[in-house]
Amino acid sequence: MRITAKAREEVRERILSAGKSLFHRKGFAGTTTRDISRAAAIAVGTLFNYFPNKESLGMSILAEALERGRSRFLGEDRGIPTLEEALFAHVASELREMRPHRSFVGPVLETAMSPFGPSQVSSEGEKARQDHLATVAEMIIDRFGLDAATSVTLQLYWSLYLGVLAFWSRDDSPHQEDTLAMLDQATRLFVASLSAPARDDHEGGKR
Amino acid sequence: MKTSHRMSEILDALPADLGEEAAPEGSMVELLRSLAHRPVPTGRLVRLWALGSLQAKIAAGYLAYWLKSGFTGEEEKERRKKQAHVDAAIKLLGGMGYLRGAIMKVGQALAQYPKIVPEQYVEVLSSLYFEAPPMHFSLLREFVRNELGADPEELFDDFETEAFAAASLGQVHRARLKSGEPVAVKVQYPNIARAIAADFKNMKALLAPLRGTRDWQNLVDQIEDVRTTLEIETDYTREIEFMERARSALASEDDIVIPRSYPELSSRRVLTMQYLEGVHLTEFLEGNPSQPQRDLHAAQITLLTFRLFYEARMSYADPNPGNFIFMDDGRLGLIDFGCCRVFSDDEQELMELGLAALLHGGDAQTQMIKKASLLTDEEAKDEKRREALGSVLDWFWEPLRYDGEFEFDDEYLRRGIELMSELVSRRYVRSMPIAIWNNRLFYGYRALMYRLGPRINVKRLHDSELQRAGLGG
Repeated sequence: MRITAKAREEVRERILSAGKSLFHRKGFAGTTTRDISRAAAIAVGTLFNYFPNKESLGMSILAEALERGRSRFLGEDRGIPTLEEALFAHVASELREMRPHRSFVGPVLETAMSPFGPSQVSSEGEKARQDHLATVAEMIIDRFGLDAATSVTLQLYWSLYLGVLAFWSRDDSPHQEDTLAMLDQATRLFVASLSAPARDDHEGGKR
Repeated sequence: MKTSHRMSEILDALPADLGEEAAPEGSMVELLRSLAHRPVPTGRLVRLWALGSLQAKIAAGYLAYWLKSGFTGEEEKERRKKQAHVDAAIKLLGGMGYLRGAIMKVGQALAQYPKIVPEQYVEVLSSLYFEAPPMHFSLLREFVRNELGADPEELFDDFETEAFAAASLGQVHRARLKSGEPVAVKVQYPNIARAIAADFKNMKALLAPLRGTRDWQNLVDQIEDVRTTLEIETDYTREIEFMERARSALASEDDIVIPRSYPELSSRRVLTMQYLEGVHLTEFLEGNPSQPQRDLHAAQITLLTFRLFYEARMSYADPNPGNFIFMDDGRLGLIDFGCCRVFSDDEQELMELGLAALLHGGDAQTQMIKKASLLTDEEAKDEKRREALGSVLDWFWEPLRYDGEFEFDDEYLRRGIELMSELVSRRYVRSMPIAIWNNRLFYGYRALMYRLGPRINVKRLHDSELQRAGLGG
């Protein structure tokens, strides 16, 4: 039996929606793919046609939120003057969208975006990473020129970013205000690293 | 940590003896004058997060020296143990980036006048001169959304993205309400209140083993007083209460304006209040105001000071020029009620005792000194101490006793500073915490008068405020 693209999309949405509500209710670890299949009224095998594992499903939920946050940030165009602020606003916009899912951000990202894990664990995670970094690279190039957005620079950024997400996922301060301070200082730190004169500039005269 | 490393170098490099040489003449006048010069709303928000300036190093160094000197002569083992705690406390202090302003202030004072350390330390700490890094609009927007439930653009008709003034622990933005009124919105840096509370807790824990050294308990109490005050200062809903309390003590004919607050657009960390159009003291003076204009505003400041003190029963301990707005229509605005304190029953009792001492002297004065300085019966009998404390009081009260135009000139200020320095060098510095608040209030008042150069009869204004409050006179 062939199913149409529309029907396929409907099933996918049903799975995502069932996943969201179960992750909220029972926690990520406490939810099985069987639970999700049952809630979405499909066979367990069918679920695997859409998502290879629970992590991938979780990451899809987050990736959608990240994408919404990024689009809103890019659509706003407030003419943000500094890179610090632009980086901050980008992440803040993502966090707003991810907030409803904060309870399971940690366990999902731990596998889907782990800097130590293989990238194929979740193609959604890898795509989200690339999209995020592409936006960041563009912002860096805009303000600091092409040379500034090296792979090392972006890896440094990514490490800080994951650190902030990890902090946020466990932040128990009111409204996660500690994360705001952390994100503010992390973006300042990162931009300061770009602005710092290169070693060559210092020692140029000695040569 | 880089900071700690520098701190340890400072600790090692402390001078063995600070010497007894006197400060350059007039330097303390400058210091007092500088109380009226605290950098506030200038539009420039260049503030650093890290402790790094030379001034700060000097300050921390002297502070360490002073702390060390507090227990010389103790047994070596005991001394070393305590020393380690002091060192740790100093390092912690050095790491509190937001304290940088306060530490710099101590440094400035110390560079000229090492003898005054403890007094300045506590006083500066009490001045709550804390700093937070500047916030860009994107950060502020997230924070406001968390606090008030919506973005500033949704809550206000217009919201300026650049801050126009620095506030302690945050910054102030101009905005317009949907109903059209111009407002000032004060926003605190996220998490700083909790960070400060945690740091103070750590500092107190570190200093705990020093209890028992001379006057140490008092200093610890003072620090605790500062901590609880900070808790209040960082809660803007309390500030609204202070504003309302002050307003209710004023009538429209007083021509003094306390900004209206908007509780529905405020929270513990965000404060929306009426924006007052006008200039600060420096700008006012640059316009070469006439003597009657100076007198008018000096009289308003005087009335305000005593009205709040006697009728509202509160100490407005931050009378720095940045908090006064000289309005075009001749009225005076008072903004920023973060550093206020409403008298407890015990403090009210002290205030009344002080009043009796002011009016009648003699036994009331002795009692007041004993209470305010927390003297034991034995210490209260020490005539030298009583005399030293009494002469500072007399100096404070001079303008209130002189029935004529009182001159707040260099000579008057210098005498006050000499008397205060005398107290400090004799270590007569123990006091009820409220005394420090009132010192700030009345020193600040004198610094303002010094700059305004008014020809007004302070005694008459004071007497009429006493009568109004039903306190005789």
